[in-house]
Amino acid sequence: MPADRWGRRLVLTFYMALIPEPVRQQLKDRFETVLTGPVHLTLYTKPGSSRLILPAGLGCPTCEDARQMAELLRDAAPEKITLEVVDVSRDAARVEIDQIDDVPTIAIGSNSETGRVHFQGLPTGTEFPALIDAVERVSRSEHGLRPESVAALAKLTDPTELLVFATPT
Amino acid sequence: MSLANRMALASPLIKAVCVEANEFPQLSNQFRVRGVPHTVINRKASFVGALPERDFVMAVLEGAGVTMDEPHDEVTGPSTEISA
Repeated sequence: MPADRWGRRLVLTFYMALIPEPVRQQLKDRFETVLTGPVHLTLYTKPGSSRLILPAGLGCPTCEDARQMAELLRDAAPEKITLEVVDVSRDAARVEIDQIDDVPTIAIGSNSETGRVHFQGLPTGTEFPALIDAVERVSRSEHGLRPESVAALAKLTDPTELLVFATPT
Repeated sequence: MSLANRMALASPLIKAVCVEANEFPQLSNQFRVRGVPHTVINRKASFVGALPERDFVMAVLEGAGVTMDEPHDEVTGPSTEISA
């Protein structure tokens, strides 16, 4: 089953409890058959954040949930997926090098380097299937684009940033 | 957002950031996000809606300033309006 359809099925279950055991097991079963290569997740967060809504720039109401989500992914395939947690309040240089705008952000890469696929904010709802899809594609080194698209993208000569705004529903 | 992620995997020059629009209202307002998906290229050009792969690639290249061989119309695709 494609990751997006499979992921949407999980979304409702996901909301019932943040990460219920059946979801963890489903993810483990899926990753066991789909993942082929290593995936490195980097979670950029602020420590001690809670769900309290504080004035702009203070706190991070979704950082704890993002941490649980990142750990869910790692624990689903610990032999393939590694997780690094970066405290942005203590490592400003890393934030600048990795070009992180805000927290929580989950970056997905194929090795210990920061990947070029980022999820800024808690990727729930329609974003959750995209997160799973990204993990699987990174693991399989499988972008799935048509050859014509790859040839067209080869015309790029400078770094290009794509910000894709989405909502959970 | 999946297409943007796949493009980032296909090209070492592309970085894709999926932003939860409701969680970052200031950033959403900065780029006048009124419906999703809303894609912003290099914080300059943008388009709204889910596009077919070919149109998405063309829009990204155009937004990045790459000269295109064939002209094409301004692209938009199906999108979901965000309630205020």
